[in-house]
Amino acid sequence: MSGTDEPLLRVEGLTKHFSNDEGLFGGFKRNPDGMVPPVVHEPELVRAVEDVSFDIRKGETLGLVGESGCGKSTLARNILQLIKPTDGTVYFKGEDITAMGGESLRKKRREMQLIFQDPQSSLDPRMKVGQIVEEPMEAHGMLDDEGREVRAKELLAKVGLDPQHYNRYPHAFSGGQRQRVNLARALSVNPDFIVCDEPVSALDVSIQAQVLNTMKELQEEFDLTYLFIAHDLSVIRHISDRVAVMYLGQLVELADKEELYENPQHPYTRALLDSIPVPDPRSSGVRGVLEGDVPSPIDPPSGCRFRTRCPELIAPEEYDLSATEWEETRAFMRAIDRRTVETNDPEELRRRFFGQVPSGEAGTVVETALDHLEREEWEEAADLLVAEFAEKSICAREVPAYEITPEYGSDTHYAACHLHRDEGIRLDPKTGERADGVRTADSGTEASESASAVSDD
Amino acid sequence: MSEEPLLKVENLKTQFFTEDGTVRAVDGISFEVYEGELVGLVGESGAGKSVAALSVMRLIDSPGVIVDGEVTFKGKTLVGYEETTGEPGEPPELVEREEMLTEEEMRTQIRGREIAIIFQDPMESLNPVFTVGSQLREFIELNRDLSGTEARAEAVQMLREVGIPEPEKRYEQYPHQFSGGMRQRVLIAMALACEPSLIIADEPTTALDVTVEGQILDLVEELQRKYDTAFVWVTHDMGVVAEICDRVNVMYLGEVIEQANVEELFYDTKHPYTEALLASMPRPDRTTGELNPIRGVMPEAINPPSGCRFHSRCPDAREVCRRVHPDLRAIENGDHDGDENGRVHRAACVKHDAFDVGYPESEPLENEATGGFEVGLTQEGSR
Ligand SMILES: Nc1ncnc2c1ncn2[C@@H]1O[C@H](COP(=O)(O)OP(=O)(O)O)[C@@H](O)[C@H]1O
Ligand code: SF4
Ligand code: SF4
Ligand SMILES: [Mg+2]
Repeated sequence: MSGTDEPLLRVEGLTKHFSNDEGLFGGFKRNPDGMVPPVVHEPELVRAVEDVSFDIRKGETLGLVGESGCGKSTLARNILQLIKPTDGTVYFKGEDITAMGGESLRKKRREMQLIFQDPQSSLDPRMKVGQIVEEPMEAHGMLDDEGREVRAKELLAKVGLDPQHYNRYPHAFSGGQRQRVNLARALSVNPDFIVCDEPVSALDVSIQAQVLNTMKELQEEFDLTYLFIAHDLSVIRHISDRVAVMYLGQLVELADKEELYENPQHPYTRALLDSIPVPDPRSSGVRGVLEGDVPSPIDPPSGCRFRTRCPELIAPEEYDLSATEWEETRAFMRAIDRRTVETNDPEELRRRFFGQVPSGEAGTVVETALDHLEREEWEEAADLLVAEFAEKSICAREVPAYEITPEYGSDTHYAACHLHRDEGIRLDPKTGERADGVRTADSGTEASESASAVSDD
Repeated sequence: MSEEPLLKVENLKTQFFTEDGTVRAVDGISFEVYEGELVGLVGESGAGKSVAALSVMRLIDSPGVIVDGEVTFKGKTLVGYEETTGEPGEPPELVEREEMLTEEEMRTQIRGREIAIIFQDPMESLNPVFTVGSQLREFIELNRDLSGTEARAEAVQMLREVGIPEPEKRYEQYPHQFSGGMRQRVLIAMALACEPSLIIADEPTTALDVTVEGQILDLVEELQRKYDTAFVWVTHDMGVVAEICDRVNVMYLGEVIEQANVEELFYDTKHPYTEALLASMPRPDRTTGELNPIRGVMPEAINPPSGCRFHSRCPDAREVCRRVHPDLRAIENGDHDGDENGRVHRAACVKHDAFDVGYPESEPLENEATGGFEVGLTQEGSR
């Protein structure tokens, strides 16, 4: 039930940076009297979302998956203009809604609704279910009192609730039922597009299945387009037509669902897929284990943001290393950088990490690091290795963005990974456009015209 | 086959005496854990998994009471009463058997030393005002005969062993400076510190991201191989069960309704609830068409349905299911009774021959699943 080719929503180069004096840390450092603080410090920017571009076609479900804190919710709120993006453009039905404000934006909002994860806190406990469902209609001046009540009851039935629940308070409902109330509320103003931010994550599997089925039915009946956010890759596989994977504020991969799950081309996507516990005791027991933690979005790695953990980080071209030599060197560098070894004895380290320490320039670097270690200069050793190996890699020097040929289906496959630098088509990482102006993950020239009509500010 | 279980739980009942009535949170469950085994306790929220886990450790607080049953561990009686008497709705008069360990003995011999417990939220077990290292060191000092310096060295070593980078530096840091996954590693280190023979883990990876969960599961398997520790692993995730468990107990509304090794649970499922649970899951490894959810929600443990507790939602329910309460029974399995370890597959469902209560002749029951009611959704009760 994949949608038509016309994009309903287009996101281009969307970026959101939070500074210390807004949002989460609001008021924390700001002086209420307006006095200048004695020490002027650089405001730290949280680079929550950076240069995200994609389209959502009418009638489709785009799944957005990624681990907690990777920027999914921030992206969703930026798309809906609930918070203003730092940079980038969002087109809804061809119109630039980032440029809109006031009344015209308010009108547009009717067509775009949001459903949250926590059905508990998103429902006002003092309001009856009927009022909750009618509220958005009232805000947008839809129908009269009587008409709204009729519609609310109809919608309650549509989402699988008893219309007689109209006069009940939300606390009388289970988690699954509350999420249904949210659905009815979102549907009340007849939207075209619904952003669902982890709508079933808090629900037990059997209830989750009920709600997912209802959401699919409603999509068909009302011709809805979904942006469906979740961290659960099984749920995403079930509900989506296409899937986008996010890591540390950026899209790393976007493809048709089947293509993404059966032919993943970004090492992070592969790591995610390998980590999911498969509910089948006969499935092969390999569990891909990713090293380390996600870096801070305040100071994300240059180039590819995944490079500090990537098991396939590419060797710097200036060293002539064999695959094995590079693998060993990379493992050594990371172990020293993370200090996961307890010994600093060069002989022991050589034995543990290397079949043979590489010759040439790379070998000199390794030996110098080992000298540092012998003198217990861990930091110097780590800095040297990182500067000479990690930071000279193409993965650190260039932001990756490629379009590659899919194996399943005909949708474009976007992969932000330099492993595809030979066979892939290089894209502009900011806009997702090809050098020839054709956008990836997208349909036609018509839309790219409207894109080029917008100038950067 | 004659091997004695490490932990044996028999007919354990734990109830909460509330204003609204008696909540039968755990209602007569039995299971065993053998040495070095990883045993799953799986079910949806409210099934009684956590209460069961806490009951084994005797960590139930008022208004909860372990009202009946027996828990033995390495020949010691953790729970064991003489005949209990009492009015319904009131906590019963409990007379502890002589051999039942005192609270003091539980504290000094069992908890932490012989059986360790790990919770979903590590912050529950860590004190935010002390450094991680000092808490670990103190725990080791207290429970093992080590001096301060020795305990410190041991603590650093444990941190390294559970995969915490820069353990010397991390030793000096406070819990809030650790990520969720790293905190869970600390708790695993603490659980392992006394080399217990059993660790009870209550949804330890549920709050973690999938890659971090993968790291923790890997670590647990590695440590288990090394120390041969047995685990009771509480989870709602059938994926986790399939990946790490040897044997599994499926719980529904306070009861264990199926008990099998992991292979048979998935490939020769005997209980309709387990079957329904598996059918309602979207899969990471293949694209599912329509999901087949279990209708309705789990009823309240205050007033469980008569007969088989699943009868209001079971697609196979018949008239007899409303009357007969099935106990957990061995279900014959072709020509063998029991797997290679002689452990039998049990289920609490009268449709199996082992029950012989007239299921085949009984009339089908109209319920939420068989379409007696409008698609069930409107039947969801409040929680
Ligand atoms: N208002 C804010 N101020 C500062 N940082 C924020 C704010 N909102 C989100 N962040 C940060 O942005 C990153 C992405 O967060 P979020 O969008 O919530 O991710 P997700 O939805 O995937 O959990 C996180 O590092 C988070 O701490
Ligand atoms: S660009 Fe380099 S670091 Fe990033 S995912 Fe690809 S190989 Fe790994
Ligand atoms: S006893 Fe009856 S209702 Fe219960 S699980 Fe078996 S068939 Fe279903
Ligand atoms: Mg979020």
